[in-house]
Amino acid sequence: MNKSENIALTEAVFYILLALHQALHGYGIMQETQKLTKGRLNLSAGTLYGALSALMEKSWIKALESEEESRKKEYIITELGKSVFKAELDRLQELVQNGKKVITQ
Amino acid sequence: MKKTVRKVFFLWDYEKEERWLNEMSQKGWQLTWASFRKYRFEKGEPGQYEYKLELLEKKTAATESKSYLEFLKEAGIELVGECRNWIYLRSKTADKAFVSSKPCLDELSHLMKVQQFQNSLRNMLMLMVVFSFVLILALEEFTGIPVADFFRGFGTGLGLASSVIALCFVFLMKKQNRKMKEAIKELYTCE
Repeated sequence: MNKSENIALTEAVFYILLALHQALHGYGIMQETQKLTKGRLNLSAGTLYGALSALMEKSWIKALESEEESRKKEYIITELGKSVFKAELDRLQELVQNGKKVITQ
Repeated sequence: MKKTVRKVFFLWDYEKEERWLNEMSQKGWQLTWASFRKYRFEKGEPGQYEYKLELLEKKTAATESKSYLEFLKEAGIELVGECRNWIYLRSKTADKAFVSSKPCLDELSHLMKVQQFQNSLRNMLMLMVVFSFVLILALEEFTGIPVADFFRGFGTGLGLASSVIALCFVFLMKKQNRKMKEAIKELYTCE
């Protein structure tokens, strides 16, 4: 059951993976995404939680073990996640190139 | 200043209920506690908080729900009340924690949880209908004995009541299915 090969990432997943190139907790991801998109993309807590659970199941990201119980749970991208992200970047590049080719003709 | 309000919202009117809580917030009444048909408000700044009703797949005490609630807390979202699997959440309006740029996805996942909830209610109703028929049939041969007659009467009443409710439920679920189809259609063009 691997439907996610060769398909486009959702915008939410794209930015979550991008943000998680550094270790962040949930709220940090929301803030980072807002910062990167200058407030255009607002991930609601529900969406983010759902996406994080799905990404962990796919092993694209992992939760960092924290020594203290009280500390906020942090997440970081895995090697597999990085390769998925890289492939998506290539796909987006192709998208932009093809688009520009037609538009600038 | 505090006040307690009793107000009835039907299960399927959660959108109306949410709107009402946000209207109260606009008037400066901030919800601090909610349970079945009872709401406690405290006078605060108008529009200070935003409210949202969510449905959990499992009760709040379950591990899965706990980790979600913990996650919400870290994002500055407070749990102000609960009623079965429904939770009442609030967040400072300035935090924009409920504002989503991905409404289609949010809507669909919410609708799916509502449907799951309705399915379990429907199953319970069907179980009640079956139970009452079994009761009536089992007591068939004991006609004339007062205790048996009483329970047969009880079974008939229960059977009739749950059948009527189940029928109303069918219409409710049809409405829900329509909403679901719309949400899936939306997903073709937006996230």
